[in-house]
Amino acid sequence: MNPLYVGSGDRRLFAIYEPPAVKRAHPRAAALCYPWGSEYVNAHRSMRHLATKLSQAGFHTLRFDYFGTGDSAGDLIDADLTGWEGDAESAIEGLKDIAGAPRVTLVGMRIGATVAARAAARLADEIEALVLWDPIVSGPEYLRSLNIADTPGVAEIDGFPLSARMLREFQAIDLRADLAAAKRRTLVLVTERLASHADLERDMPRAGAHAALEFIDARCPWREDVTLTGEVQVQAIQRIVEWLA
Amino acid sequence: MSGSFTEHIVAFGRRQSLVGILSRPARPLPDAPAIVILNTGIVHRVGHHRMYVLMARQLAAAGHPVLRFDFSGIGDSSQRVDHLSPVNSCLADIAEVLDSLETHHQVKRVVLVGLCSGADHAVLYARRDPRVVGLVLINPTIPPTARYYYHYIAQRLLRLRNWISIATLRSGLLRRLLTHVRHGVLPQKQPDTLTLDGLEYSPYLEQSYREAVRRGVKMFGVFSALSPRATYRQQMHDAFRDVEFGDSLRLEFFPESDHLFTPGKERARLRAVIKDWLAGLSPT
Repeated sequence: MNPLYVGSGDRRLFAIYEPPAVKRAHPRAAALCYPWGSEYVNAHRSMRHLATKLSQAGFHTLRFDYFGTGDSAGDLIDADLTGWEGDAESAIEGLKDIAGAPRVTLVGMRIGATVAARAAARLADEIEALVLWDPIVSGPEYLRSLNIADTPGVAEIDGFPLSARMLREFQAIDLRADLAAAKRRTLVLVTERLASHADLERDMPRAGAHAALEFIDARCPWREDVTLTGEVQVQAIQRIVEWLA
Repeated sequence: MSGSFTEHIVAFGRRQSLVGILSRPARPLPDAPAIVILNTGIVHRVGHHRMYVLMARQLAAAGHPVLRFDFSGIGDSSQRVDHLSPVNSCLADIAEVLDSLETHHQVKRVVLVGLCSGADHAVLYARRDPRVVGLVLINPTIPPTARYYYHYIAQRLLRLRNWISIATLRSGLLRRLLTHVRHGVLPQKQPDTLTLDGLEYSPYLEQSYREAVRRGVKMFGVFSALSPRATYRQQMHDAFRDVEFGDSLRLEFFPESDHLFTPGKERARLRAVIKDWLAGLSPT
């Protein structure tokens, strides 16, 4: 496990690189995109285990903190979703350099799934596949779950400061549009069934022949109870590794 | 990054397996102790609400070297290979980190900072290492007192759901009282290995505070009213009546804060009082 920085200047990003346990003639690489806020804190352990399992399966892996989150530079109040998509691009470039791989698989959880899908659309030729773990399907549904949908000018969510710009970007999240734009072999893995999943299921064929939606009977790795128990979502991690292998 | 400090990734410990971030001040305060921030539970070194990142950066900008690191098996640090118990593993990690700071960064004096289990690890460790000159103990484990129960019960009985919990025997309050009675009435066998579970009833905790006072360690106890740990400012003195804290202990009470200082303005105040307390620490 090698901690390092990617990006530069005021946007230096903390990352952890894990080399593959087995060398391949054609190297494969995976970048992991975290959730944000309390979900990031809660999911960190599961994301670390996912990175380790992927490296054992032969992937060069890199997980990184967005600007204003984790150990990266900056304050969250100055962050926005567009900037995080740029951070994902920096991570992809860094990982390609380290791994010597022409393309990278992106695995994103929650808001990380949004970041990954959008980065995949922007860098289509550099992306091999996409795994979206419990993605936010609809911005309005997500904001309702945070109990802030009807609170204009809210400045803080569960102790995390958020700019009005970021809030507007959250409001505009539409997974179906992002999937349609990504055009890459995609697995959408869901542990918590929401109302919006019915629409997503119906529209999945339009997202492309290579997009699959799977529900899995596992706990949500981004919930607080997982942090209290230290539980790691083994079934979901196994499924992701199998699907990518 | 601000020009007032720089951040560096470090790997510490005998196996270089402890991952941390060292924040170094651009203008170090002469003789200022280094600050070492310990994990809360199994949350990695960033802390809840990223509280330790902002705390480290602010204290580094004020002139202190600050290290945040992950205990073995937590965050990005690998597990130890010597099969120590969880508490002893954390205490061994702190010793290895302080050794590395001393060897590679010429750090002679350290203040340990921890919240909840982090505070417990800090006070349990401080008794054994003369390099520790100060402790910032945020919501540490302390024994409940009669006044604590008075406040605790009064707060909870105002809420209907607590009555429902009592009626259905699922009450945390009931469980806590029964545990207290059991420890007060029946002599309890102390576990062979030190654990954080039941630490408030362990004589080792009071011994640790007494030993820290004897060694001249300065302590800053910070308590929040909406935490299950303490309900009033002076509880620490009442709970450890046989420890003569004198001027080695300063207390700060946050009447509006929860256990993790969730609102940003509470965390800003927490950083401010810690910075203020550190400024008052005498040099060597």
